[in-house]
Amino acid sequence: MRKQMSTWLVLVTILALVAMPLFSQGAADKKASEGTTVIELWYGAAMTEAGPPPEDWVGFQIIKDKLNIDLKITALPSSEGDQDVKIQAAAAANNLPDLFMVRREVLARLVPQGLVAPVDDLYAKMPVRTANHYDEVSRRNAMFNGKSYGLSDPGAIIKNEGLLIRKDWLDNLGLAVPTTSEELFTVMRAFTFNDPDRNGKHDTWGYGSFEEIGSYEGWPGRRLQPIFGAFGAEGTWDMTEANAGLSVFKDGFYDAMVYLKRMVDEGVIDPNWMSYKKDDFRAAWKQGRFGIMREQNAAYAAQSNYAPFDQNFPDGQWIIIDPPKGPKGHASVGPYTANFRVYAISAKAAQAGKKDKIAELLEWMASDEGYYLLGWGVEGVNYTLDANGIPVAAGVPDPDYSFTGPKGQVVTQLRNMVFYNGDVELYARYPTYTTAVSKKQMSALDVLREMQTKKWTPAVGSNTLPTPNADLKRFYEQSLSEFITGKRTLNRANWNVWLEEFRKLGGQAWNDAGVASMKENNLLN
Amino acid sequence: MRKKKQVSAIAASTKGDKVFDFLVNLFLVFMLVVIAVPMWSTITLSFRPNAYIGSNLQGMFLAPWKWSTAAYRALLGNDGFLMAFKNSFKILIGGVATSLFLTIPLAYVLSIQSLPGRRYLTILIIIPYIFNVGLIPTYLLVTKLGLIDKIMAVFLPGAVSTYNTLIMRSFFEGIPNELKESARIDGASEIRILVMIILPLSKAIIMTIGLFYGVGFWNDFFRAMLYLNSNKLQPLPILLRNILMASGMNEFVEISAFGDAPIEAIKAASVFMSAIPMIVAYPFIQKYFTKGTLLGSVKG
Repeated sequence: MRKQMSTWLVLVTILALVAMPLFSQGAADKKASEGTTVIELWYGAAMTEAGPPPEDWVGFQIIKDKLNIDLKITALPSSEGDQDVKIQAAAAANNLPDLFMVRREVLARLVPQGLVAPVDDLYAKMPVRTANHYDEVSRRNAMFNGKSYGLSDPGAIIKNEGLLIRKDWLDNLGLAVPTTSEELFTVMRAFTFNDPDRNGKHDTWGYGSFEEIGSYEGWPGRRLQPIFGAFGAEGTWDMTEANAGLSVFKDGFYDAMVYLKRMVDEGVIDPNWMSYKKDDFRAAWKQGRFGIMREQNAAYAAQSNYAPFDQNFPDGQWIIIDPPKGPKGHASVGPYTANFRVYAISAKAAQAGKKDKIAELLEWMASDEGYYLLGWGVEGVNYTLDANGIPVAAGVPDPDYSFTGPKGQVVTQLRNMVFYNGDVELYARYPTYTTAVSKKQMSALDVLREMQTKKWTPAVGSNTLPTPNADLKRFYEQSLSEFITGKRTLNRANWNVWLEEFRKLGGQAWNDAGVASMKENNLLN
Repeated sequence: MRKKKQVSAIAASTKGDKVFDFLVNLFLVFMLVVIAVPMWSTITLSFRPNAYIGSNLQGMFLAPWKWSTAAYRALLGNDGFLMAFKNSFKILIGGVATSLFLTIPLAYVLSIQSLPGRRYLTILIIIPYIFNVGLIPTYLLVTKLGLIDKIMAVFLPGAVSTYNTLIMRSFFEGIPNELKESARIDGASEIRILVMIILPLSKAIIMTIGLFYGVGFWNDFFRAMLYLNSNKLQPLPILLRNILMASGMNEFVEISAFGDAPIEAIKAASVFMSAIPMIVAYPFIQKYFTKGTLLGSVKG
């Protein structure tokens, strides 16, 4: 027993003693060689789940050789909330990295604390990057007290969604493409009750949706905007000079609510729409549950996304249609705003004289060499150029290392710092392909281009407007849901009472703050 | 004769006892269903093939010969996943070793009745348990200690749990004092008493508290997110979070980090795989677990 315990004690002690230095393992020493500037970058990874660029990534060496910069990179967490926590904790300890991606709301809190440096002087030092990445709107995006505190690079592509309908179902039922809200309702009813897939079961619905609510696409969220657009009530905000304010106060909003209630009452919308998450919604259309939806171009048409639908329904066909016109002629796919990825420079970095080096780095990223290296990797290893000079994955010696392969993706993790939605990247991102089963020619880029031709409502800057406090937001979303589910009776009298209650609880103040902000920032159309 | 009496006593259980037993069993079956169904759902989802058609409920009864292992093959073939797994093990082993190494002596000292100022020491330990110091001061401390971007930063700030220390202290207090007294009379030091007398009698509580710590470190997302910057140090919970957040990963680009496996299956497989070490460890520790928690909680 004694022997056993002695052995145990010795083991635990050794383990503990060994553990300390072993687990104090950390990042490589950040000391740089003579004359080299160390730049610490916290970036938004292109694919957070894919892993970082390897330590021997050729980009590090090129940046060191050409710019004399020792680049240390850290991928920010995948969720915005976690990103905010990490950045704010580092800010509190005055430990912000030299260059970091940050949400505008967080940046707005860092600026008054003097933790970030103005970047106005950098635009002129980065002529190529500025020409491709920064216009007047983007410069204004991170402007506080007349100074720009963040480099707002182009984010996600705008107007990249559309209203889609199952053309094969329309054909099966002998129906025409709906153009008005009432025609749309007729089609939804037929899709629900007339067995459009001819399988003899009542297992289809007219419209598919889920609650995807954002700051400028308030309840019922993005997926139902074409419905609300028919009544001129799309988006959280009306940003027109004449009617600036919250859409919920407009008459059209009530009409849209009545229409949506009809959809629910008559059972022509997938009954799971309030409980679906994004993945459920996407699984549902691939399983043929509904025939009308608002979907994003690549989520619909990119090869891997379309493949399950193609396999399940080789004869199935979605087409993009114009948003339906409402009784007063309104129509809109929804509001659109400008999306940015903001990169800020810490005051600490500026004090250390690193701003010019950062500008040099960013300008190099915008050069052809940086653009292709960060966007697609090394030519001949991660990509080849097709006849039109577009990077493609085909033709590389080891497909695993192509920029679409599991080992190649990691070298393009910084691509969001160089992409600006230019033609080369769009052609590369959305190549034309032939579907595996139905042998259709598909292109998510063609789909995107078509979606962008449809009627959208400009709402640039609406995502930067004041947001309600949590209680008011909950009240707003919950009570609107209750009108639709029947917990509250939806009629004009009740609606007016509710609007009054909403105003008193803070809705009016929210509206006024939003309108003031629109005027202050010249956002009105 | 005695056995017969016992049998008749059991046989004589009243109708009320039977109803009570039935309700207890019903409750336990209910709890089993509550726990087992989501787990089974996750497992079947992780094996779901790309072209699966049907509801999630139907998917739970998908025949095994229709299962696809694509998600597991994709995960195990992903360097990032294996690296994260390795990092999590480092945190687990380092964390449990450090925590036990610090908690055991602390709990033992607090269990010594004659320790001068024992009460005040206990209060001192309880105060931060009740009044948490908060995120920013902790972050500042970790920064000043030079632990940012070190694996130790994940487990050192939480290495000693007040709750676990108090459970362990209660357990130690339950060990007959005579054993310690006789050792002292024989000239044993306190360290010797702890090592030679107390620890051999405390396997149950050590295993139990080790499990508590282990589960905590294995699942710790927040500290890793906050203190680890280098991507090569990221543990499994961070990767898991990234995978779970990647629902729209095909939304903007025509590539996936995990090849052709469906994202729902990847998510489920990653959740299941990250739970495997704990699922495997639990049965081995279970026999100590009940004993440890019960004995530790008898005295306050």
